[in-house]
Amino acid sequence: MTDVPVGRSGPRAGLRLDPRAKLYLLLLANLLLFFHVDTRGEAIMVALFLLPLFAAGRWRNGLRLAVLYFALLGLGLWSDAVTLDGAGGGSGGSLISMMDGGANVGDGTAAAWATVGHVAGLLSVGIRMMMPCLITGAYAFTTTSISEFVCAMRRMRVPEMIVIPCMVVIRFFPTIAHDYRQIRNAMALRGIAAGRFALVRHPVQSLEFIIVPLLMNATFVSRDLSVAALTKGLGIAGEHTCMTVIRMRWFDWATMAVCTAPMALAIGGVL
Amino acid sequence: MTQPNVSQPAQPASQRSTQQPAPAAKSSRLAIPDLISIGIFTALYFVCVCVATLVSTLVAGAGTIFLPAVAALICGPVFMLSVARVGKFGGITVMGVVIGLFLFVSGHFALSFVASVVFPLAGDLIARIGNYRNRVTILIGYVVFCYGLTGPILPLWFMKDAYVASLEARGKSAAYINDLFSQISVGSFFVAMVAILVCGLIGGWFGQRILKKHFVKAGIA
Amino acid sequence: MSEPSSTMSPRSGETSGTIPSRAASSPSAPIITISDTSFQYTHDDTGVGAANPTVADFASGNATSPADLALSHVNLVIRPGETVMLCGQSGCGKTTVTRLVNGLIPNFFHGPLTGTQFVCGLGGDGANGAENVPIESLVPLVGSVFQNPKTQYFNADTTSELAFPCENIGMPSADIRARVAEVARRFGIEHLLDRSVFTLSGGEKQRLAVAAATMLHPQVIVMDEPTSNLDATAMRDLHNMVAELKRDGVTVVIAEHRLAWCADLIDRYVRFDGGAVAGEYTAAEFGKLLAEQLEAWGLRAIDLAPYRAALQAKTGVAGIVPDGGEMAERTPVGHPLPAHDLNDGLPSEQGTSQPLAIAKTETSSDMPAASSVGPVIDSAGRHPSVASVLADPSEPQTECQSFVIGNVPIIATHDLTVGYRRAFRRDIADITLYGSEIVGLMGRNGAGKSTLVRTLCGLQRPLAGRILLHDAPARPTALTRAGFLVMQDVNYQLFADSVREELLLGLGDADDVIRQPVDVPIAPLNAAQSSSSGAASHGMSVRDGNTDVQPSATPYLHPATLGEQADRVLESLDLLPFAERHPMSLSGGQKQRLAIVSAIMCGKELIVLDEPTSGLDRAHMMQVGALLRGLADRGKAVLVVTHDEELAALWCDRIIDLDREVGA
Repeated sequence: MTDVPVGRSGPRAGLRLDPRAKLYLLLLANLLLFFHVDTRGEAIMVALFLLPLFAAGRWRNGLRLAVLYFALLGLGLWSDAVTLDGAGGGSGGSLISMMDGGANVGDGTAAAWATVGHVAGLLSVGIRMMMPCLITGAYAFTTTSISEFVCAMRRMRVPEMIVIPCMVVIRFFPTIAHDYRQIRNAMALRGIAAGRFALVRHPVQSLEFIIVPLLMNATFVSRDLSVAALTKGLGIAGEHTCMTVIRMRWFDWATMAVCTAPMALAIGGVL
Repeated sequence: MTQPNVSQPAQPASQRSTQQPAPAAKSSRLAIPDLISIGIFTALYFVCVCVATLVSTLVAGAGTIFLPAVAALICGPVFMLSVARVGKFGGITVMGVVIGLFLFVSGHFALSFVASVVFPLAGDLIARIGNYRNRVTILIGYVVFCYGLTGPILPLWFMKDAYVASLEARGKSAAYINDLFSQISVGSFFVAMVAILVCGLIGGWFGQRILKKHFVKAGIA
Repeated sequence: MSEPSSTMSPRSGETSGTIPSRAASSPSAPIITISDTSFQYTHDDTGVGAANPTVADFASGNATSPADLALSHVNLVIRPGETVMLCGQSGCGKTTVTRLVNGLIPNFFHGPLTGTQFVCGLGGDGANGAENVPIESLVPLVGSVFQNPKTQYFNADTTSELAFPCENIGMPSADIRARVAEVARRFGIEHLLDRSVFTLSGGEKQRLAVAAATMLHPQVIVMDEPTSNLDATAMRDLHNMVAELKRDGVTVVIAEHRLAWCADLIDRYVRFDGGAVAGEYTAAEFGKLLAEQLEAWGLRAIDLAPYRAALQAKTGVAGIVPDGGEMAERTPVGHPLPAHDLNDGLPSEQGTSQPLAIAKTETSSDMPAASSVGPVIDSAGRHPSVASVLADPSEPQTECQSFVIGNVPIIATHDLTVGYRRAFRRDIADITLYGSEIVGLMGRNGAGKSTLVRTLCGLQRPLAGRILLHDAPARPTALTRAGFLVMQDVNYQLFADSVREELLLGLGDADDVIRQPVDVPIAPLNAAQSSSSGAASHGMSVRDGNTDVQPSATPYLHPATLGEQADRVLESLDLLPFAERHPMSLSGGQKQRLAIVSAIMCGKELIVLDEPTSGLDRAHMMQVGALLRGLADRGKAVLVVTHDEELAALWCDRIIDLDREVGA
């Protein structure tokens, strides 16, 4: 009977890391944001972070992120070229004023191009910086089942005071989506804030009409959930176990090590 | 687990034997129903933040810096109802911690986690002064709480630093760079922070109005 | 029933050490003893004692009058292995008893509690301040199943939900897995494992809830109105699960007013009234009670056969077609009359090919059907609480319908296909809905009922086919303007901060001079009024703006302002005393009526109700039925989506059964 596949409500294909290893990767990605690494180091780290995503069988997701990164890289290179050309042209004005009216300065196209180049460069560098976080976040979010997440929190001795609200948040998200659709339907039937632009034209009123029923229902649901949780022993003192088993295996450690090494080198300026 | 504060059995016993109406004997610690309420309001808050992200990026690409302000504008009712329903120390803090956790896990900057612990904790302490009943302290608490969302926009300044670094690496003069970014750093930072303050006050006032108009009248808060 | 507990040895071997052995309690000693217990809900700040949000608590005692005791001096003894049904009207205290058993009172629902309560050997004297039982110690002993399948889950996936109680008592991972597999096999729900709870149907959710309640092998299972949202198939599944529990010697306590679904399993009935035990009956005694007796107690029927027979008779009958000329074309093609299914008592539906005969059968169907199935149905028309509320669905009215209805159906569908792009697709046999007619839409869960009504109300686009509004093809937006859907959860539909404001929402200020009067609110509707052709012109006045009312109707002055109009409509549905209250502070039934009133104010012609009677006792079900009749008498087309066979049999003029059309 133990061979019944339980506790794997997440995506099942492929190799997946332990949630704690994922957390470590997230932390690494954040460190990368703190310390400015040059483009080469960044590219290596991005490639490394993308690997587990492919290993877990998330091909489409991984490819999309990879393409995005390389597009940004290309944009950055183009921006470098443009801003080098117009090196002197943009001086005198701040970036803001250039954004406001790069054209009305009348310096000609060079300045305008420089402005565009700066904006593109800023965008490219900025979003590229966020990419490691985005990739590891996407990996953590799409490959972790709720039970694994809860189990990892419990194993890391996160207090129940945090664990329980987290469980409820995950449980309640689909309900919010459902409630919202119901409320919008009800509004359409009543002819309240109907039409495509009504939400924009009467934002305050629309907010009230949507959020009040949402909150009303939320209080009712919180009562029912409390009842369900209490009768199922959520309030029992003592350690709560998890059906899902999470284990740090060799490839968890290996991934962590492989990702840490170039990172340390890059920060240290060796790479 | 090892936290004694989540185990509920101890406190209702005293309550029942004295047969007091619940509020009088209610423990000041967060019990299971409180945690569940907090979870539900946090989920709603998180959804509001997502809406705010959407709105602020739609309005302008660089409008992301106004994310906390937009969120402050629309999250008032959620916050006010959660305070009215939970009304215990820790509620606001837990809300912030859970939000921070979700932001972090979904790939946001780690500092956002720190911000969403520190500011809600401060807001919680302020609201506690008025015992979660006083409208003014709750409103101030809300404004402070709203600064907890500055985390996700902090990377914008990091981005600037990174870009400056990349410009320096290519041999641009420091004066040129300073010139370029003088306004973006100081000006936008203050604008963003003041916007949170103003929007927090408006949003909080709106939340309290909704609370009074609907939830108090319906006997729910 | 009183099987010694040792007979369930097959499982007791696997019982984990943390769970008290069932053999400990002697088979003869009571497992639940409640003596001289009184309780009153306090309106505390957890909001739990306050106005109950569920429709089930419709006008219940604890919602409207806090001074009333929820329980007063209740004595109840339940022995191990018994299957006991607590019955009685809404607010009679049966739910409160289940809460006493599973420890929610006094751990979650607070209030003054007196008397002694022992459950599975645990308990104490509430009055003397003795040690009370924390709900946590009851967790392994008592399993609970609640009314609303949507909100009794704590986890987002099914397997976690089953594992949840085991995790909470700290069982090791391998044991939990073994337990989950065992319980799933026992109840035959292996196919439900590893799924998102949100993708399950209501019936599947409720089966999962029962399975989750048995995860710790409790000695007692309490169920609080477990069937209120279920269709017949799901109720059968639930019945089988209860039978399984009973076979294993588990004590089952069910609070219900639907009696039929598990009548063969019940050992004892306990009837509550006004918070006190009004009678206890063995199954044999209860079976002998007359149907009228049950009705008088506000209970649902224990034998649904007569209702089913009446339903058969009403199913598949074509719409009431008033004049002969156009009928041949208009008779819906997709409604073959299932003659073999029909009740013998009915005139054998001769001449299905002749629409006139159909119309005739329909108009008179109330009477023959009633006489054939005996007093149960017959009594519906003159049910005392009904007659006084709104309308009387008796013969003169039914007959007048054929005159009242205009020739043009309000809604008609042609070759309609409803569904979602990929997930779901269903062809619907042509439907015609006329004014002044109550049509029941039945069918099992997943048959496409809600998709169909959403399409009819213009909330989603049909995949194929046309919908005609007054014989003209209509776009979804036009349908949304003409139709109204009273959702099962009316909480989503109320937006304003007072009942009166709710009606004026989107229409203007209370002082606005009325431009287009909504249809005439006839305060207490009576047959004389609606039998005149006046009713037809009332229906028309919605569209024409024709303020000229027939002199034959009661002298009636149009209100000059919207506010006055709103008050009149409120008055006609007994809501005027609550005009200043917040809609959310009303009882479930009042909220439902308010939603309907708002539809009337908007001048809607088609009113669809989604499961309006789920969780209602008989009296309230009859009230809803009378309300539907009142709506129909205003010339509205009323479409009721329902599993409630009693409601459909007693109040619907005609039934559309989606299950039956699957083959067509």
